[in-house]
Amino acid sequence: MLDMLASDHFAPDLADMPYFSVAWYDRLHAIVGYWLELREIPDDLRANPVDRTAAEQLLSTEARFLDQERLEEWLTLFTDDAVYWIPSDVEGRDPRTTVSWELNDRRRLEERVERLATERAYSQAPSTRTMHLYSNLEVLSFTPNVMHVICRFFIQTSLAGKLSPRAGWNGYILRKVDDGWRIALKRIGLFDADYPQDNNSFTL
Amino acid sequence: MSSHATVRSPEDRNSVRSPYGEFFRDGYVHRDLYVKQSLFDDEMRLLFGSTWVYIGHETELPNANDFIRRRIGRRPVIFVRKEDGKVDVVVNRCPHRGALLCRFERGNAKRFTCGYHAWSFENDGACVAIPLRHAYGENFRLEDHDLLKPARVENYRGFVFASISPNVPSLQEHLAGSASYLDQWLDRGTGQKVVVNNGSMTFTCHANWKTVYDNAGDGYHPPFSHESMLRVFTRRYGDDTDMSYFPSGSNEGPMVSRDLGNGHTVIDQRPAMHAKSAWMRQHVHPGREAAETAVFDRFGEAAGIKLLDASTGAGMNISIFPNMLIVGNQIQIVDPVSVNQTSIQWFSTSIEGAPVEINLTRMRMQEDFPSFGEVDDTAQWESCQEGMEAVPEMEWIDIRRHIATHQGRVDADGWQTHPITSDIHMRAYYREWLRVMNGAACGATRSVEK
Repeated sequence: MLDMLASDHFAPDLADMPYFSVAWYDRLHAIVGYWLELREIPDDLRANPVDRTAAEQLLSTEARFLDQERLEEWLTLFTDDAVYWIPSDVEGRDPRTTVSWELNDRRRLEERVERLATERAYSQAPSTRTMHLYSNLEVLSFTPNVMHVICRFFIQTSLAGKLSPRAGWNGYILRKVDDGWRIALKRIGLFDADYPQDNNSFTL
Repeated sequence: MSSHATVRSPEDRNSVRSPYGEFFRDGYVHRDLYVKQSLFDDEMRLLFGSTWVYIGHETELPNANDFIRRRIGRRPVIFVRKEDGKVDVVVNRCPHRGALLCRFERGNAKRFTCGYHAWSFENDGACVAIPLRHAYGENFRLEDHDLLKPARVENYRGFVFASISPNVPSLQEHLAGSASYLDQWLDRGTGQKVVVNNGSMTFTCHANWKTVYDNAGDGYHPPFSHESMLRVFTRRYGDDTDMSYFPSGSNEGPMVSRDLGNGHTVIDQRPAMHAKSAWMRQHVHPGREAAETAVFDRFGEAAGIKLLDASTGAGMNISIFPNMLIVGNQIQIVDPVSVNQTSIQWFSTSIEGAPVEINLTRMRMQEDFPSFGEVDDTAQWESCQEGMEAVPEMEWIDIRRHIATHQGRVDADGWQTHPITSDIHMRAYYREWLRVMNGAACGATRSVEK
């Protein structure tokens, strides 16, 4: 793990790579590999209380915007080169050669929000009510401008009164931009991503 | 080879020879086909037990002794690549007390040993060990206790099918006109091998499995059911984008729906989708610019656009009766769970030896329709299921499109062709449904016995 951090290939952010290029995928795959192998947070990577509080606040806002269906505002929490990703496997397979449930760039993420706003998205008519609970936050600080957050999530949903839960772990890359912290990557690791999924057309 | 446009067996209705005829009349099928538990049970036993059922693609098992669990109707089976490299199918049920032998979805194993009393079987089904055998007496023979196997297992260009019943034609004969479309799907682009080893996504649908078939060949619904997707793409990328070519007026255009025999059908979108460049039509996937730049740099624009076109959707929805669909570059298995629940597994594909950018673009492309289109279709099927279950006074489901217009024709290859919005696909598979179910019920076919 520390070897991985020391290697030339590992960098904690995707910022300086051409968006969705092969090299960008290399970087992404390495970051997820690091998360999957992480056994204990190294002391020198633990975020200080100020940064940790900033991360907690950002994620609480993110969850609240989703639950309140304020998706336009939710989008403003993301960077211009954001990634919203729901893998279809639980082993951390390479997304260059493995299909995902979703692997959205910023444009695609905006289209997702636009689609839901058309009132013709029949999978979300009525829309799924959600309660996003984020828990067990572990916040890693790599540079003054880059943090990772790994947390468990539990989403209770109701689609026209029919209750069904989603669970798993999220991996975030947070980046500090001019006026504060933004989400550069949200990777939603459904713990049963490789089994049949019910209607996940709301925003996880 | 040409076929009647409607499902019917009026003279046989309710007769011994046609016990299932009562569920059909011209242009309509009965709601019981979607909502009645006993009919679902009959389908699982008789329909899925008496015809070729798609199991998987041979490239899903790259190594000797690889296995994956699949189903034939509700029967659990194991799709295996044996020690000798050949693929095979065995029924995943211990002959002793019925336990599932293999309880993992996939893996690599030469033998399967039952967890209950440790009866052991080679992955070709041969019984090789039973503990404390003396208690069964002197006449006990291991070879009388092999795993049940489908009577027939055949492979069409990598697509592996099995039939529980021995009384089926050859796979090639069964595939009829669909074989040529499978060829076109496999051979498009540069002709490199299609590989099915790129993950999958499985959707749960709370509706009868046949609602999935009804939709796969339905060229009528896209402008309406997919309005949200089309609105977003039109606003962003202009009128001439994605599936906007599906007709919403009276001129149905150049695309066609075809009955390929034995319940198989295709809707062919290529006359519209591939008219210019499929790649240029499709604007939605992440990484488009990066892939295009890399491919043009390496191959030049003319050759590059061909590679990119071939990475875009195949433009054929091929429906193979009763459980296999091809949509775009994906293969689907329709897996009935109960009368009102179905699992639909979408297998992603790649091209062997293609540039990495081509295959990664292909992955993203294969996330496009499932997340922006399939979800809305699934909502429609679930809604249909709810309505069909809840209103017993309304018994009949309408499948009449393009019966009255007489616009169907028989093409040079002998198969019937209809305008794209026809319901010919439903009439075709229900005709096969009725043939197989009646045949099985009357003893024309029988399940294999050991």
